[in-house]
Amino acid sequence: MSEAYFPVGPGLGPEENFLSLEDILMSQEKLPGRVEAALPRLAAVLGKGAGAGQSDGIPEGAKVELPLWLAKGLYDNKRRILSVELPKIYKEGWRTVFSADANVVDLHKMGPYYYGFGSQLLNFDNPENPEIAQTILQTFIGRFRRIMDSSQNAYNEDTSALVARLDELERALFRAGQKGLNDFQCWEKGQASQITASSLVQNYRKRKFTDMDG
Amino acid sequence: MFGERAAELVRGLHRAADGHLPAFNEDGIRQVLEEMKALYEQNQSDVNEAKSGRSDLIRTIKFRHCSLLRNRRCVVAYLYDRLLRIRALRWEYGSVLPNDLRFHMSAEETEWFNQYKKSLATYMRSLGGEEGLDLTQDMKPPKSLYIEVRCLKDHGEFEIDDGTTILLKKNSQHFLPRWKCEQLIRQGVLEHVLS
Amino acid sequence: MFLSDFRREFYEVIVTQRVLLLIASDVDALCACKILQALFQCDHVQYTLVPVSGWQELETAFLEHKDQFQYFVLINCGANIDLLEILQPEEDTFFFICDTHRPINVVNVYNESQIKLLVKQDDDLEIPAYDDIFRDEEEDEDDSGNESDGSEPSGKRKRFEEDIMERTMKRRQRREWEARRREILFDYEQYEYHGTSSAMVMFDLAWIMSKDLNDMLWWAIVGLTDQWVQDKITQMKYVTDIGTLQRHVSRHNHRNEDEENSLSIDCMRIAFEYDLRLALYQHWSLFESLCNTCYTSASLKLWSVQGQKRLQEFFAEMGLPLKQVKQKFNSMDISLKENLQEMIEESASKFGMKNLRVQTFSIHFGFKNKFLASDIVYATASLMENIEKDEPGTDNFIKALDSLSRSNLDKLHQGLELAKKQLRAIQQTVASCICTNLVISQGPFLYCYLMEGTPDVKLFSKPVSLCLLSKYLLKSFVCSTKNKRCKLLPLIVAAPMAVEQGTVIMVGIPPETESSDKKNFFGRAFEKAAERTNSRTLHNHFDMSIIELKMEDRSKFLDALISLLS
Repeated sequence: MSEAYFPVGPGLGPEENFLSLEDILMSQEKLPGRVEAALPRLAAVLGKGAGAGQSDGIPEGAKVELPLWLAKGLYDNKRRILSVELPKIYKEGWRTVFSADANVVDLHKMGPYYYGFGSQLLNFDNPENPEIAQTILQTFIGRFRRIMDSSQNAYNEDTSALVARLDELERALFRAGQKGLNDFQCWEKGQASQITASSLVQNYRKRKFTDMDG
Repeated sequence: MFGERAAELVRGLHRAADGHLPAFNEDGIRQVLEEMKALYEQNQSDVNEAKSGRSDLIRTIKFRHCSLLRNRRCVVAYLYDRLLRIRALRWEYGSVLPNDLRFHMSAEETEWFNQYKKSLATYMRSLGGEEGLDLTQDMKPPKSLYIEVRCLKDHGEFEIDDGTTILLKKNSQHFLPRWKCEQLIRQGVLEHVLS
Repeated sequence: MFLSDFRREFYEVIVTQRVLLLIASDVDALCACKILQALFQCDHVQYTLVPVSGWQELETAFLEHKDQFQYFVLINCGANIDLLEILQPEEDTFFFICDTHRPINVVNVYNESQIKLLVKQDDDLEIPAYDDIFRDEEEDEDDSGNESDGSEPSGKRKRFEEDIMERTMKRRQRREWEARRREILFDYEQYEYHGTSSAMVMFDLAWIMSKDLNDMLWWAIVGLTDQWVQDKITQMKYVTDIGTLQRHVSRHNHRNEDEENSLSIDCMRIAFEYDLRLALYQHWSLFESLCNTCYTSASLKLWSVQGQKRLQEFFAEMGLPLKQVKQKFNSMDISLKENLQEMIEESASKFGMKNLRVQTFSIHFGFKNKFLASDIVYATASLMENIEKDEPGTDNFIKALDSLSRSNLDKLHQGLELAKKQLRAIQQTVASCICTNLVISQGPFLYCYLMEGTPDVKLFSKPVSLCLLSKYLLKSFVCSTKNKRCKLLPLIVAAPMAVEQGTVIMVGIPPETESSDKKNFFGRAFEKAAERTNSRTLHNHFDMSIIELKMEDRSKFLDALISLLS
C-alpha cells in the first residue's frame, strides 16, 4: 500500500468526517421513510410524479427511500417533514439473528457499511436505539476474533474468501492485520531494509503496460 | 435524486486504490456545479414565492438546500483527497513526475504541487546547518553505505558525482553508494538486490 | 602477464577503483562472480556487472563502457584470444582475466602492461618461450635498408659479397625461425582444454586475504563441480581439487564434530560426501534418477528392452521394490534408505558400473534443505538456458545468478524442476538417436544431426545443453556399438539454432576414453574448415569448439572437416 497517502478515515460513532470519502459513500446508502408534510414541486426528483414536471409535489404520507444524508438533513425530532423507519437488518427480527450467531451473517451483502450506517441511525431518536446500539456492538465483538485470527494467519494466499462476508469497517481491520503480518514476515526475512519502488510507481507501470497492450 | 453525480465523482476516486491518481474528472465536476447552479436558482425563485405567502415551499427549499450542501461536500472531499494523493507523489516518486501523471492533474493541482515542492524544499534547506537535510531520503533505516542494484530497464547514462557516468542497461548490476540510487529505485528504474 | 601475488597486484590495485565485471555464461563463472561480488561488497568497491555470452557481446559491452571504466575484470572469457587486437583499448585500460579456457593466447601471456592473468602457475600451461615466437623488428629493417642501396662503389665489392652471404644466411635463419614458430604455435594452440576453476581461484584470493566465508567456499565447490559435470577437467585434476577444497571445508565446518561448541542444526554447513553420482536423486525418485543419469543409462543400455530388464534386475538384486523406488526419494521407507549408498555400489559393480560413487560435497541449511553440489550445478545451468519463456538471455543469467544465493530457494527449486525436464529430454533424445542409428561414422569422427521437429530440439539450441547431450550421446554410443574403431572417435553434434535465420549450432567433443585428457582439437579444425570452404560461420562462443553455421553450408563444411582430419 502507498506509504505517504493518508486519506481521511471514516468517523466514529454518530459523527461523520466531513472530508472522508468512505463516509460520503456510506451516507449515500438509502433508508426507508415517510413524508410527514407535502413537498411541492419535487415529485420528479423522487420519481413520484406522472411526468407533469415540477408542478406535482410529493404528497403527505408517501413512502420514500432516501439517502442517509438527505434523511439527516430533513429530519428533526418533531418530525415535521420526515419520519424514518429502520432498515430491516436493524430491526428486531434480524437483531435476534445477530445475537444468535453474528459470524454467519454476510455483512457485505447486508449493505456494506453495517457499522457506520448503524451508528448514524442513532441520530434519529428511535425508541429502539439502545437495542440497536447494543446489537451493533455485540456483533462487532462477536466477529472480531475471527477477523483478527484470519488476518494474522493468512500469509501469501488468496484472501478473497475470507473477506467476502465482511463489511467495510471489518475489511479495513483485516487489511491492517495483513499489513502487520506482511511487514513482520518481511522483517524476519531480512528484507526490511530493502528499498522498494513505491506501490504508486509499481501500479503506474503496470497500468502503463496494459495501456500499451490494449 | 440530487447528488447522484456527486456521489459518482467520489466513488470514482475511491475506486482508485492504493493512492493512485486518476485523471481529473473535469466533466464530473462541471456536472455537479451545474446541478448546484440549478438548485440555487430554483431556491432563489422559491424563496421569493415563499416570502409572498407560499410557506409550504419552505420544506422544498430545505430539501434543495440539503442537496446543495451535499454536492459541496462531495466536491470539496474529492478535491481534498486528490491533493493528499498528489502530496504523496512528492514523497514517493520525487519532484519530477512522469508525463502521464502530470496530465492527470488539473492546472490548479499542478500549481499546488509546485508550491508544495517549494515549501518542502525551503523547509529542508532550513534544517541541518548549511547543507540542509533531505528528508525524502533514507525512508527506511539504511544498513550499509553501498547497495547492490539491478537495472530493470534501459535508462541510458547516469551521472554519479565527480563526473563519472554509468550506463544503465537492462539486467546490468551495479554496486553504488546508497544515496545515489535511492531515487531511481523508488522510481522503479533500479531494483535493490539483497544478497 | 601472469600475476603472482593476486592480492597485491590485482585486489589492492582495484580496491580504490570502479570496475566493470564481464561474466561469461557458465556456472563456474557465476560462482566466481558471486565470490568476487561478496569481496567487493565487503570493501565497498564500486562495480558494474555485465553478463556476456560470446565475443560479440563482449565487444559491445566493452565499447559501451570503455569511456566510463579503466579497469575490467573478465571471468571465463578473454584468455584464449588476442584481446587487445579485438578490443583496441586505450593505453590506460587494464584487463584482469580469470579464465579457465586454455591455451592462453601468447600475446596475452607476454603483454606486460595491459593484460593481467589471474591464473595459477601450477596449471601445466606449456607456454612457448618468448624468443621462439616474438622477434625484434629492427633486424629486418636493417636488412631491407641494406638491400635498397645497390649502387655501391666497386671498392667494397668483397664486403658486398660477404654482405650478400650474410643477408642470405639471415633470411634463411628467419625463414627457419618462422617455420619453427608456426610449428610451435600450432602445437600450442591445437588442443583446447580447461584449467583450474575460476571460482576456486577467486576463493583462493579471498582466503589469502582472510576474507573467506563458508558461503564463498560453497560457491567454489559448485564451480569445481560444474567443471566435472561438463566433463571439462580430467578425473585426476578433479580429485586433486576436491582434496584442496576438503581442507577448507574441514577448517570452516569442524564445529559440528565438537559436542560442546557445535552450531545450531539449522545453520549452514558443508559436509564431505562420498555419494552416488545419480543426478538429482534426492529431489527425484531413485528410479527416475537412475534412468536419466548418463553413467547408469549408458552402462545399462536403457534405450533397449534388454536394458529395461536389466534395470529391474538391478533393483531386485538390492531388494528394493519397484513401487518404493518410483516414489519421491524423501518418501521412501527409511529402512530402505539406510546403507543405500553401499548397497547400490555393491550391486552396481556386479552390473559393470564400478564408479557409481564420487567424491563431492553437500550443503545443509535450515531444517530441511540439503543439496549436493551437482544438484546446484544442474539447477543453475538449466535456469541459465531456460527456453520456456522467450526472455532475453540476460534475464535468465540474472535468475541463475540469484539462485546461487541461499535466500532465493524458490528460484533454486524452479531450477531443479527445469533440470529434471532437461535431463529427461536429453535421455530421450539419446535413446532415439541410438535406436534409429543417427550417429554415423564419417571417418575421422562420428556425426549426429538433430533434425527440426525432433522433440525438445529447441532445448538443444543452447550451447551448454547441447554439449551435455553430446557427451551423453557419445558415452551411450560407445557402450552400444561393437565397432572397436568407432569407440575411439570424437563426436560432432549439430542441431537447428534459429529456424528463421537458417542457422545450425555445431559442437565437437573429444573421444570418450578412460584416461582422456579432455583436450579438444575441434576449435582449430572448425576454423580451418570454415576458411577453406568460405562457409558462413560464426565463432562467437568462448569455447572454440562451438560454432554457428548456415544450414546450406553444412555439407561442404563437413566434407572439408573430413578431409582435414583424415
